[in-house]
Amino acid sequence: MKKIYIVFGIAVFVMAFSMCHKAADFPDSGYDERMSGGEATVLDESSKAFTIPVSGMSARDERVHDIGDQTFDQTFVAPPSPIFTGLGPVYNNISCVNCHRNDGEGIPTAGFSNSGLLFRISQPGSDANGGPLRVPGYGGQIQDQAVLGTKPEANINITYTDVQVTYPDGTVVTLRKPDYTLQNMYLPITGSYMLSPRLAPPMVGLGLLENIPEQTILSFVDAGDANGDGITGKANYVYDVYTKKKEIGKFGLKANTPTLLTQIATAYQQDMGVTSYVQPVESALGQTQMNGVVGDVQPELVDSLLNYVLFYIKTLAVPARRDVTDGDVKTGQLIFNQINCSGCHRPSMRTGIDVTLHQISNQRIQPFTDLLLHDMGEGLADNRPDYLATGTEWRTQPLWGIGLLQKTTGTAYYLHDGRARTLEEAILWHDGEAKKSKQQFMQLSSGERAKLLKFLGSL
Amino acid sequence: MKNTAVVLALGIAITITSCHKATQNPGTTESFATLEQTVMTDFANNTALPQYANLVSAAVQLNSTVTTLNSTTTDANLQAAQAAWKATRVTWEQCEGFLIGPVESNDYDPNTDTWPTDKTQLDSLLASSNPLQASDIAALPQSLRGYHPLEYVLFGVGGSRLAASLTAREKRYMVSLSADMLNNNIQPLYQSWTSAPTNYAQQVTTAGNGSTAYAKKLDFFLDITGDNGMAGICGEVGSEKMYEPFINKDSTITESPYSDNTLLDFKNNIIGAQNVYLGLNGGKGVKDLVASQNKSLDNKIQAQFTASISAFNNITVRYEQAIFTQRVQVQQLMDQLAALKDILENDLTDFLKQYVKD
Repeated sequence: MKKIYIVFGIAVFVMAFSMCHKAADFPDSGYDERMSGGEATVLDESSKAFTIPVSGMSARDERVHDIGDQTFDQTFVAPPSPIFTGLGPVYNNISCVNCHRNDGEGIPTAGFSNSGLLFRISQPGSDANGGPLRVPGYGGQIQDQAVLGTKPEANINITYTDVQVTYPDGTVVTLRKPDYTLQNMYLPITGSYMLSPRLAPPMVGLGLLENIPEQTILSFVDAGDANGDGITGKANYVYDVYTKKKEIGKFGLKANTPTLLTQIATAYQQDMGVTSYVQPVESALGQTQMNGVVGDVQPELVDSLLNYVLFYIKTLAVPARRDVTDGDVKTGQLIFNQINCSGCHRPSMRTGIDVTLHQISNQRIQPFTDLLLHDMGEGLADNRPDYLATGTEWRTQPLWGIGLLQKTTGTAYYLHDGRARTLEEAILWHDGEAKKSKQQFMQLSSGERAKLLKFLGSL
Repeated sequence: MKNTAVVLALGIAITITSCHKATQNPGTTESFATLEQTVMTDFANNTALPQYANLVSAAVQLNSTVTTLNSTTTDANLQAAQAAWKATRVTWEQCEGFLIGPVESNDYDPNTDTWPTDKTQLDSLLASSNPLQASDIAALPQSLRGYHPLEYVLFGVGGSRLAASLTAREKRYMVSLSADMLNNNIQPLYQSWTSAPTNYAQQVTTAGNGSTAYAKKLDFFLDITGDNGMAGICGEVGSEKMYEPFINKDSTITESPYSDNTLLDFKNNIIGAQNVYLGLNGGKGVKDLVASQNKSLDNKIQAQFTASISAFNNITVRYEQAIFTQRVQVQQLMDQLAALKDILENDLTDFLKQYVKD
């Protein structure tokens, strides 16, 4: 009898411990490196590479995706109109796709029909939820276009100054440092204000990023810099206007938006002046130019259309990597890891479970981001805090698809405001927590630098 | 014993010869590569450039009739301007069979062909003190530029326009709209294909051989076949522009409602795609590549183009009406277009990936 207890006891002991051992991912060598989005990957390298749906959707889901696609491309017009109404009174552009060209990034100009750069504005201090303090008469964003009869809030004057950087090997690269000022303001601002430029980012793998569990992101934080690599990382916690809760921020260039739904609805509201059930209040409400527009009218964007646009964006596939077996690309990848670019641009992770959409559920993905905020130094600073993000901190930009921007945009631009015209310029702007890696990059031979850039081009 | 040896020898011989898999395609590889180059060159010089040149001529003609209408506002001159508008549409819609290169990357398409027109702002624009010069038009949102606002001025709601009803402001707007289309978009589009800095015709003809737009010849062929090309326009017409008004039974969301041109716009889109496939002006087209290796696929594609284009003829009323009264014919046409898109997107794309290796 006693023997049975002992055997049973040992069995329980062994089982308990073996259950504690959670099955880990297979080693990286077990995966096809091209499949950046796991199951949600598409083998396409054309100018339309960002616009292709994930495969394996039902006919009903495909239809929803298609309507979302059409709505994303749709030009909106000033109210009243029987169709696609609600543009303005002040706005930045008239459709999603005018900024997110080919579902990719924007062009860093402001005020033209093809412009994709917008400016957030706030005053020192913070609002009741810990967010940026809105500027009376302007809100949190400059709308530099307006429907006829209304003045744009302001125009943006953009100038660049050349800055030269010299490598230890004598090579000189010219960077352009931007300067942004407001002109033709419709109303003077009392007191000081802060501007932050934001270039429309590419729409790559957003459903997958939303599906990364919070604890995965937090596991990347190294608050005390225990490993001594100079990289700490910080999660942003932000107020969601829809759920009315504080949540971890994943989207926006300073990780100031927690969900795709809020991100999309806020873009409709702030960038186009189109209200919805998530953002029911006109961006210009309360402004002197809003004569006759009342607060609680019916949302301009039909609820279903907003949901369909959300579904469209979640079901866009990630373009596969190219040239993964090329010797130079492989060397470039080793260098990328050696000089610790991968400290923030995390190569791989796994998404959480989403029973409604198997293509983005439990996928091993290669986004090359940790979705955390990092100090990027004075050169890139916007000096405008956004919830927990300080004036020098930015969210690590995912690098998947970056090698295709040249094709999708026509001319590629990099960094949060598109100041960098090449990937090399973008690297040279890195500072702060990335200073060590940048310096090591500059120490490389020109051949090694080319290989690293070739690797980035394969993403 | 001798027999066994013979059988054995025969067996070995058969085995060895059957190991030799025929690697040569019909026609030598070398001539196929030459043919690829010819199709690329002919696409640029015989299909794309002449069509863009025709578009310039049509827009010049449109601009001149609109100018005449402005100075001598008679119903006859209004009809001439309306006819010129429709003629420009024919060429433009056919050019949409290949939306590759500058037409999209330089925004010439959205600058001239954004839909819908912003009726509210259009009214306030006409009522405003905006000088309405061509340069003012270029600064307006795209929903107040191009074909469709001009269509609204020239044709009026339901095509009811009479010359006498044109106001001075409308005439000013129409003259500048036409000038903005010609000088700021259609001329530059043509130039972007013929001269530096873009010289897109050269980008096409040097695909796989120094072109920055197309690193490989295959990239070019996939571009004119896929979303920017033939399959893309079939999908846009069949499953968006025709389908949405049809399924929603909503005649307010059709393409060119003022001029009754909607159905013709659609048909010319598909003819534009067919032009890319067949080639124009005696030049070789994608069909020559296909026919050289797989005649039955070529037959299939050509037959589906013909079936799709002739299915347009079954609709005998304006599209805004057909979605209510000829739903069977509309559905049949959409089915044909879906089949055409499917063949281009799958069969033709697979063919290109298999045979175009450079």
